Amino acid sequence: MALLELKNVNKVFQSGQTEIEALKTTSFSAESGQLIAIIGPSGSGKSTFLTIAGGLQAPSNGEVFINGNDITRLKEKKRASIRLQEIGFVLQSSNLVPFLNVSQQLKLLDKVKKNNLNDKQLEELCESLGIRDLLKSFPSDLSGGERQRVAIAKALYTDPSIILADEPTASLDSDRAFEVMDMLKKATTTNGKTTIVVTHDTRLVDYCDQVYKITDGQLRLIEEMASV
Amino acid sequence: MFLAWNEIKNNKLRFLLIVGVLTLVSYLVFFLSGLANGLENLNKEAVIKWDADGIILTEESDLTLPQSSLKIEDYNGAGADEYAVLGQFYTIATAGDNKANISLFGIREDEFIMPKVTEGKVFKGSGEVIADDTLKNEGFEIGDELQLSATDETLTITGFTDNARFNAAPVLYGSLETLQKVRFGESTENMKDRINGFVIRTDNLEEVEVDDSFQVIATQDLIENMPGYSEQSMTLSFMIYFLFIISAVILAIFLYVLTIQKISIFGVMKAQGISSGYLAKSVIAQTFLLAVAGVIIGFIFTILTGAFLPAAVPVAFNYVDMLVYGAVLVLVSILGALFSIQTIVKIDPLKAIGANVWHC
Ligand SMILES: Nc1ncnc2c1ncn2[C@@H]1O[C@H](COP(=O)(O)OP(=O)(O)OP(=O)(O)O)[C@@H](O)[C@H]1O
Ligand SMILES: [Mg+2]
Repeated sequence: MALLELKNVNKVFQSGQTEIEALKTTSFSAESGQLIAIIGPSGSGKSTFLTIAGGLQAPSNGEVFINGNDITRLKEKKRASIRLQEIGFVLQSSNLVPFLNVSQQLKLLDKVKKNNLNDKQLEELCESLGIRDLLKSFPSDLSGGERQRVAIAKALYTDPSIILADEPTASLDSDRAFEVMDMLKKATTTNGKTTIVVTHDTRLVDYCDQVYKITDGQLRLIEEMASV
Repeated sequence: MFLAWNEIKNNKLRFLLIVGVLTLVSYLVFFLSGLANGLENLNKEAVIKWDADGIILTEESDLTLPQSSLKIEDYNGAGADEYAVLGQFYTIATAGDNKANISLFGIREDEFIMPKVTEGKVFKGSGEVIADDTLKNEGFEIGDELQLSATDETLTITGFTDNARFNAAPVLYGSLETLQKVRFGESTENMKDRINGFVIRTDNLEEVEVDDSFQVIATQDLIENMPGYSEQSMTLSFMIYFLFIISAVILAIFLYVLTIQKISIFGVMKAQGISSGYLAKSVIAQTFLLAVAGVIIGFIFTILTGAFLPAAVPVAFNYVDMLVYGAVLVLVSILGALFSIQTIVKIDPLKAIGANVWHC
């Protein structure tokens, strides 16, 4: 069964008299263990796609299934709970809470959700993201890249089945960017998650099982690696 | 609590300001309540001291003791457990350099409104009185001979008693004979049965039987009808209630500004799936912490100030009242915080995460 499935989904924005179809009718599904890249020019609809897939906004038409459950018409309260349980977001901009240090950022998630990573897994995660020495630091004391890595740690900490990352490597140098992709790849394959990465960086595409391209709201599969 | 407390820890100055404002407001509330209480005592002490339930006055008295005039034989105790006759007269007493407005009570030594002497002796003959001990603070002493305004009669202080002020005037207790001589002078003989009221103790004031020209009123009504009493206490209560509203509004504004500043942070947390409820609870918890801290500090300041205040300032702290007012302050602060909750609920996580920053 697909972890994430979009059936005949589109999104139309009303802007004054004109309608913008930010996402044209499309169907999409992602299986456990898949790392998927979405590329496309600015304004093509990548973030729109990602936020619909993650239950942050409802599509104009069609249905969204997460783990087989239709979330399309759920109330925000219920969707929030599904986001918390099933989805790890890595956002385009930093998503850290300024008055919490790195370890408190993670501890906050313990307050609202059970079954997060255990201490040993957390240590491994921090090790591989290179943030073990930063646990007591506040976001304002971190570099952009460090912040991004903490954001990734946050997304992975709740052990979500779906990881949605919007330009996760934008503020990283290429070595770090590759490391982060390695990380995401590992989390995806070894723990049976599905990960969707929106990116401009075509070099990162090599890590992915599938590559989609969006142009003017039209999603197309352009490349499929032979599964190993 | 986790979010609330960590935010406070990391923005000390900001939250110190809020606690500071709450401290000042609660300080003012506590102090005004002390003042209200003190001023009330000033008026009613002597009445409370009777430990009575009601008083019989004439119909025309307009519920004030000095305006009421009866004869001793007008009431025989019907329907009351116990009663005491009371004559009253305001005058000015002078002894050397000391001068005070006083209220002279004419009573019978064997009836229950006879006060306990805390220092000195009880009055014996005509012209002897027991005085309220605030007069002692003003310099009057046992043995002082008091000149009175509007009469040649003099009074001698034989002892002191505590908590005996009537409508802000310290009370002198003497025999009925003493009182009559002071207020009627030579013509005492045919006026000696003139009194102002009968103080009664009973379980049921309704059962007290009096003529149509008299009325039985509760001691509380007597207190509330003293000149100036209700005006004073209403003014102070009004100020206190107004402070409650002020603190709710100040808190609401502060927290609203803080919430607006945090919209993107809240949005990011909501995007991750943290519920509005959790965030709202955190804001409430934060307000609770701040309000309790402000109230406690305000309380400590109040007590400290009270300890250093000159005796002339009529402040008397009633801890039960203060506890209630403190609780109300915390409550209205939380009401102020509720104002921000709807803002939190309305935050759209989509806008906050910057994926589609779209201002229409
Ligand atoms: N809330 C909205 N209201 C109206 N139009 C919107 C809204 N959100 C997005 N759009 C429009 O939909 C289109 C797709 O936007 P989207 O943010 O998905 O692009 P993107 O591919 O993520 O771009 P970028 O690479 O710059 O992040 C754009 O034309 C945008 O203007
Ligand atoms: Mg985008």
